[in-house]
Amino acid sequence: MIDQIVVSMAATIAFAVLFHVPRSEYLLCGINGAIGWMVYLLCASMGTGVVIASIWAALVLTLIARILSAIRKMPSTVFLITGIFTLVPGSGIYYTSYYLIMNDLEQCAAKGMETFKIAGAIVLGIIFGLMLPQSWFNQLGKIWKK
Amino acid sequence: MPESKVTLNLAISVGEALLKNGGEIYRVQETVSRILEAYGIEDYHVFVITNGIFATVYEQREDAGSMVRYVPIGEVNLKRVAEINQLSREICEKKCSIPEAFERLEQCRNSSSAGNLALVFACGVGSAGFCYLLGGRPYDSMVSFFLGVFLEIFLILAAKYHASRFIMNILGSALVTAGSLTLFVAGAGILSDKVIIGGIIPLVPGVALTTAIRDLFNGDYLSGSIRLIDALLTGMCIAIGVGGVIKIFQMLGGGAFLL
Repeated sequence: MIDQIVVSMAATIAFAVLFHVPRSEYLLCGINGAIGWMVYLLCASMGTGVVIASIWAALVLTLIARILSAIRKMPSTVFLITGIFTLVPGSGIYYTSYYLIMNDLEQCAAKGMETFKIAGAIVLGIIFGLMLPQSWFNQLGKIWKK
Repeated sequence: MPESKVTLNLAISVGEALLKNGGEIYRVQETVSRILEAYGIEDYHVFVITNGIFATVYEQREDAGSMVRYVPIGEVNLKRVAEINQLSREICEKKCSIPEAFERLEQCRNSSSAGNLALVFACGVGSAGFCYLLGGRPYDSMVSFFLGVFLEIFLILAAKYHASRFIMNILGSALVTAGSLTLFVAGAGILSDKVIIGGIIPLVPGVALTTAIRDLFNGDYLSGSIRLIDALLTGMCIAIGVGGVIKIFQMLGGGAFLL
């Protein structure tokens, strides 16, 4: 469990470097990514399936990114883009093309569908997270400042 | 040049820098509008899409101004987005004169970012990390680390020669797949699928997807669709690169090794 937290944090920080995030925010990006991955694993271990797990993880990630952006006075994209990388269906893309080449069309269609579903799930999660009005987060930032 | 035009030039330059470095459409639109307002311009129109900004001020008057900027989709640099955001905040609080603002903008545009060595190392760590998270063993992630390093070196070189993004994605994923399969065939005992997945993660269109959603959510359907198509095509390019190399290895082996 601890290894998963540490590795997901390190991987997210690596992506923060790749996208030139300001140095002072590396750690927060890493924490956000790790929390997203934990939510994903937790949901998956409760048997929700990868799609529902992606929705929850993306939702939590988005909310945390918005809270952090209010507190740190940074655009929320900084935390969102780096955090979301733990959820993006890279393995789905691989297995879809693998089964296509292997001429296993049934598996290919299943994996391809799953990849689209995960991408859609991330979309839904982020949208739910964006629905809360910005003024709430601004208030939170002010409270934090005091 | 009339005052209104100088102001418009500043506002649209700030917007351009923001858009180029990966800001969302609504952020760019709001920044340009707010800056124009901060310098006392009441009548203005701003239209922003993924790769262009159009703005006019005082259409009905003598000192009318209009400007168009073409902004090709470029490398994401969130540090600059954050800095330009800060600059526009200061402009809106009226802490900056126009020449000062231009000077600050120039600083933001050239602000130092992580060097190539850091990028190469980060790409390796990212690949290794995802290989491990998605079920690889520590040994596999080590292999993935080196593939990630090679991938980033390739990407930096390709960017230098202005290779098209399609070619970069296809060749990049092909490189990772070829590396992994060569080691597998040579008997290195790796889980080749996990290594490949880790290696292609830096190419996966996470940024395009996230930005597309944010644009669509804010009602910028045109820009959102542009980004979404970008994400889709990038995903397909990766699939082509991976699939092509697997096919080549299969044919070379004459079906001898089941990958």
